[in-house]
Amino acid sequence: MRLRRVTAASVAVTVVIAAVIALLPLTLSNYHRATGASVAVFFIAILALNIVTGYTGQISIGHGAFMAVGGYTTAILTHDHGWSDLPTLPAAAVVGFVAGVIVGLPALRFHGVYLALTTFAVALAVPQLAKNYPNFTGGTEGLALPTHSGLWLYEVGWAVAGVMFVIAWFLLRGRTGRAFRAVRDSEVAAASSGVTLAVYKTVAFGISAAMAGVAGSVYVLVNNFVNPDVFGLTLSLYILIGAVVGGLGSLWGVLVGAAFIQLLPIALTTSHISSSQSVPVIFGAVVIGVMALLPLGAANLLRVALHFGSQSRQSSDIHLGTEGR
Amino acid sequence: MTRRMKGALVLAVLAIVVAAGSAFAASTATPGVTRSTIKIGGTFPLTGPAALYSVIPKAENAYFQYVNARGGVNGRKINFKVYDDGYNPANTVPLTKKLVEQDKVFAVYGSLGTAPTLATRDYLNKAKVPQVLVATGDSYWGAQYKRYPWTIGFQPDYPGESRVYGEFIKSKVPQAKIGVLMQDDAYGQNYYNGLIQGLGAAKSKIVDVEKYDATQTDVSQQVVKLKAAGANVFALFALPTQTITALVVATKVGWHPVTFINNVSSSPTFMAIAQKSGADVTNDITATYVNDVWNNPDTASAKLYKTILAKYDKGADPLDANNVYGVASAWTFVKALSMAGKNPTRASLMNAFTHLNAKNPFLYPGVSLATTPTERFPIDQQILEQYKNGGWHPFGRIFSKAR
Repeated sequence: MRLRRVTAASVAVTVVIAAVIALLPLTLSNYHRATGASVAVFFIAILALNIVTGYTGQISIGHGAFMAVGGYTTAILTHDHGWSDLPTLPAAAVVGFVAGVIVGLPALRFHGVYLALTTFAVALAVPQLAKNYPNFTGGTEGLALPTHSGLWLYEVGWAVAGVMFVIAWFLLRGRTGRAFRAVRDSEVAAASSGVTLAVYKTVAFGISAAMAGVAGSVYVLVNNFVNPDVFGLTLSLYILIGAVVGGLGSLWGVLVGAAFIQLLPIALTTSHISSSQSVPVIFGAVVIGVMALLPLGAANLLRVALHFGSQSRQSSDIHLGTEGR
Repeated sequence: MTRRMKGALVLAVLAIVVAAGSAFAASTATPGVTRSTIKIGGTFPLTGPAALYSVIPKAENAYFQYVNARGGVNGRKINFKVYDDGYNPANTVPLTKKLVEQDKVFAVYGSLGTAPTLATRDYLNKAKVPQVLVATGDSYWGAQYKRYPWTIGFQPDYPGESRVYGEFIKSKVPQAKIGVLMQDDAYGQNYYNGLIQGLGAAKSKIVDVEKYDATQTDVSQQVVKLKAAGANVFALFALPTQTITALVVATKVGWHPVTFINNVSSSPTFMAIAQKSGADVTNDITATYVNDVWNNPDTASAKLYKTILAKYDKGADPLDANNVYGVASAWTFVKALSMAGKNPTRASLMNAFTHLNAKNPFLYPGVSLATTPTERFPIDQQILEQYKNGGWHPFGRIFSKAR
């Protein structure tokens, strides 16, 4: 009974949040709409990371690279091949999926920190590749794309984010999601229950990277510019920070994590002009503070509130993906 | 049917109202300009790998404060908003949009860095917002004005500077074996291209080119490689932090080449840091175009420069060439703004910037500040200088039209 009540509450909260997001642009300036679109970008990216890291337990510090793959797909198709913006999104998903499967292959052999380092290497290498093929990618000079109004960006960003959220939700609540969580919690137990580790790990990486590719695509549209520096290492780290702050292994916290990594640095940068040197320090301190106060991320706070403080939380849902192997 | 039509009608009316409203908003006063103030803004690396340039916006603001204290420009005081983009174009884009759309600045002024400027150039030109005196010497700003008429640079272009180095090496260092350390981006590439041009047929004397990523500050490996390649000339196309590291490492590994340091990293302050850390920088060569406040501290301009810094930028090091640069750049902005008319518009500001012909007291004597609508490099003269007895000493003639 309790479970059903929670599901109903989840749906209700989701609908309310969706409605707020849909109506918000009415009150926002053009600039804040564009900023809202950036939050949507990170919403999608963190959602993507959550699938592979939060739910399947495979750590990735390289999701910025998948965003780069998607972003460059959109940029090159619109800039050099006359595509219009939106049709490039599915293309970015496909290219992202392929890249994800390729990177996911080492995940079959590497565990924990070794896999993390592999993805880290990918995050380092992809921008470099873009620099080395300037005829294709515009090199360090980058490619400039058409600009869009803040409202267009906001609507496209959040519509795509909504679609991704629904896909993730259906994926994770069914068989596949159970298999992902089984892989995360104990590979041995999962394998002995008939979950083919290789398939599920690769699929998790592929789907996650496809989504990150779409995020990169929207990111490029929002910034109407792409160059390798846009997808630097810090991007990957910010996505990870967003996922952890929001709560790994939960769809709830994604919004909080996205807002956190997109809005906090801008707010700090633009409000503490005189003491700009301190912005990274403040940001770091806030991250540590959030970790100390909410070790399982913002999602846990929501969950506790939903349960009215009940003790019967589903612990497997809020498990940190790195443990319990 | 009728209900649908009614709905459509309401929508159409709404659309017209919105369109009319925005058209009205556009036709009213120039953004950022009031009767008593003028708001401008820029992005700078106050943190990150290029943070040694963080003094520049402070010096610029010091000059604006000085002008404001004397009544401003045509009665308007300059309000200069500075945002930190950390030299990362991914930050520059949203911050620049914030300057334009949220802070409603009149113009984006002085923003620093090649990659950040490239990232925002398209947006600003489409929005018809002046992007003036960008603090980067790439040749794009002056050369691509037809496509980007709202963008203009300030300093001599990088290819022009390194071309002078190339010509110097060709004529003065006959046995040269050149090793190049360059940042792996458009900025490094611009410098490298100029060197190749200057060397001409002698470009085969380049024995090794090492690159580093802008986010990377340790360049020791690259320096060791250049030494191993047998280079006896060292061309440094790197940002200050990397330049200082490279100079120190070169001395430590016993490499003493004829060294050329790109202007953007050759501030005496940086040279002093390198020396303190053990680098032998004697006889190194660079190029300059700012007033020589080091060798001629008693000229009126040098004194004014120091007074302004002492009063409005407390704690600033007057020996840092970046401060001279900042004051010289701010002087140029004030000059153009005063030329843009009693009621400046964005278009009249750009018109002023493309009709400059002034003697900037903070530039090297003899270096002129001039533009025309088809000649959009505000400064294109510079002079070589050599490091001796703890300071730079200009030598030879002023190179004109270095391009």
